[in-house]
Amino acid sequence: MTTVQVECGPVQPSTDAEFVCSVCLPFLRAAQNEDGGWGFHPGCQSRVEATSWTLLALRGQESSSSEIHHAGFRFLRAAQLPDGSWPSCAAQNVGSWATSLASWALLGDRESQTAVAGGLQWVCDDWPRNASFIARMIRKIASGSQVTSQNDSLRGWGWTPHTASWVEPTALALIAISQAPREMLPAGANRRRELAKAMIYDRMCPGGGWNCGNPMVYGVPGDPLVEPTVWALLSLRDEADRRENEISLEWLARNLAKFPGPGSVALAKVCLEAYGREWPASAPSLKDLHARNGFLGSVPVVAWTCLALSPRRSWLGAEGAR
Amino acid sequence: MQTPENALLPPFQRPPSQVAIRRVASYEQDLFDLIYETLSEFLDYGKASEGQHNEKAIPAASLPRDLARIRGKTVLLKPNFVGLDPLGAVNTHPAVVAAARESFLKLGAAQVLIGDGPALDRDTEAIVESVRLREYTGPLQRTFVDLNIDDVERVPLKTRASRLNELYLPKTVLRADFVVSMPKLKTHHWAGVTLSLKNMFGIVPGGCYGWPKNVLHWAGIDNSILDINAAVRPDFAIVDGINGMEGNGPIQGTPKRSDVLVFGNDPVAVDATCCRIMGLAPEKVKYLAGAGTLLGHLKTEKIEQLGESVASVRTPFAVLKEFNRLLEPCRQKSN
Repeated sequence: MTTVQVECGPVQPSTDAEFVCSVCLPFLRAAQNEDGGWGFHPGCQSRVEATSWTLLALRGQESSSSEIHHAGFRFLRAAQLPDGSWPSCAAQNVGSWATSLASWALLGDRESQTAVAGGLQWVCDDWPRNASFIARMIRKIASGSQVTSQNDSLRGWGWTPHTASWVEPTALALIAISQAPREMLPAGANRRRELAKAMIYDRMCPGGGWNCGNPMVYGVPGDPLVEPTVWALLSLRDEADRRENEISLEWLARNLAKFPGPGSVALAKVCLEAYGREWPASAPSLKDLHARNGFLGSVPVVAWTCLALSPRRSWLGAEGAR
Repeated sequence: MQTPENALLPPFQRPPSQVAIRRVASYEQDLFDLIYETLSEFLDYGKASEGQHNEKAIPAASLPRDLARIRGKTVLLKPNFVGLDPLGAVNTHPAVVAAARESFLKLGAAQVLIGDGPALDRDTEAIVESVRLREYTGPLQRTFVDLNIDDVERVPLKTRASRLNELYLPKTVLRADFVVSMPKLKTHHWAGVTLSLKNMFGIVPGGCYGWPKNVLHWAGIDNSILDINAAVRPDFAIVDGINGMEGNGPIQGTPKRSDVLVFGNDPVAVDATCCRIMGLAPEKVKYLAGAGTLLGHLKTEKIEQLGESVASVRTPFAVLKEFNRLLEPCRQKSN
């Protein structure tokens, strides 16, 4: 693995910046595997998800020509399946939700444009199974009663092919599609995008925020969670003035303290700031949370922390720079 | 992790299983003493009954792995950590997990890990912090494993009850020498009850299958439970029934105290016993009925009861109307 010099110069010196430079970036650099990818923990199998988050985190921190980047991009390209998708782990031979994430992470690399186009094509061709008319009818007849409240005719994306639509994979697919240059998008991408946005709004919990995608079960409202709320809001930034976005942002700011995990805190900070909201002074400090459990050695959490504490939001696209 | 000493066998080829019910008034009680004593009782029982089974009728391969084998080995405790739990009825209580960990260490285990892969929220650290596990076990870095993002290995499914054929499962689980399922005593709005077998859903990694692990639902919850438990045979179960959940469980139900811990060397027998404590008929729970044919004992005559009797701790649990069929016959008449 090539050693790259720490590049902290352009970042304003502050406690957060020092934390990123002295703890997070060295951790990520040291965790890169020989094959160019990153595992969920240092020394673990390279995975598409962990590699994608790390590449996004390093995008604003390293020179984009660095060997660390190139090796990461090469890993992702090598992990792509012939149908254009990415599996969630190396040995699998079927695509997954990680396809959206890998496509997003590779967007910044000129050599990977064919791979990205293949990934986006797969994403746009992948339909969840529960959304077909026949499947909806069978489910209605079989259950006899409406167990869940959502409108299953609204389609998003699932975690794995031919399963149901869920909030997070749908939001990540929306972000990947919205960041791709128009000429790279397959035919029908806009239709998928509109349908998916409608699906996410339909799945919002009463009172704002999202959980994995069950706003009501047996008539009981589901509780929102931070991570699905963040990805839903980030995927819906072009509708920032909608009431659903407003109340969900309020839910996020109000409930931060209830979710004492660094992953939730980092992503909430990204989201609130992407919407131009003040980060609450009372919110937990990521540096303090790191001192508690070392983020349990999680590569994605360290990557999200870099993204949260970086003043740059270029990885979120133009809309993220507000 | 299919091992010869814990093979899939029909009930008539399996020796009887042992289940212990212990009354516990509160999580503040000295749980270490109680759990250590109970595990020691299993150990002694195993030694006393050694060689008593008819070797011709019961192949050695069918004998459950006994606690004596944990000496110098790695034990994995698999609690049920779900999420925020203001009423203490959703997650396995950390006092029970910590006391079990200390007990297995005292019994000679070289290492006792705690691992779970929550199904709905990927911020596992937020969950274990909200559960207050660190307060009971100390620093989590070397003790707790997030099974959602562990390294994985492909495991072909021999039972093929579902259409899954194979699963990618965490190496920490596959390499553990002794796996202990530690669920909460709860009803479940899709499966009827969630106990030590359903708790094993938590080993299926979200990093491969997402949050929730929807592929298991599409493959059929009951059949997936059978496939997972046949692939990774939990060796022991400790059920936290001190404060559980009835009605619309496993998250949105009503807290229900039974004031018991249930232990056993056969998770099927433990779950069957828990159903009887809840006033439910285990043979009517679809996945338990299936498990009773290959994985363990469902029938009372094949379960050697230690500690309290079921009748003395019986605490009928309310169920959603969709699961009225699970009620014991005497409850159906009065319903």
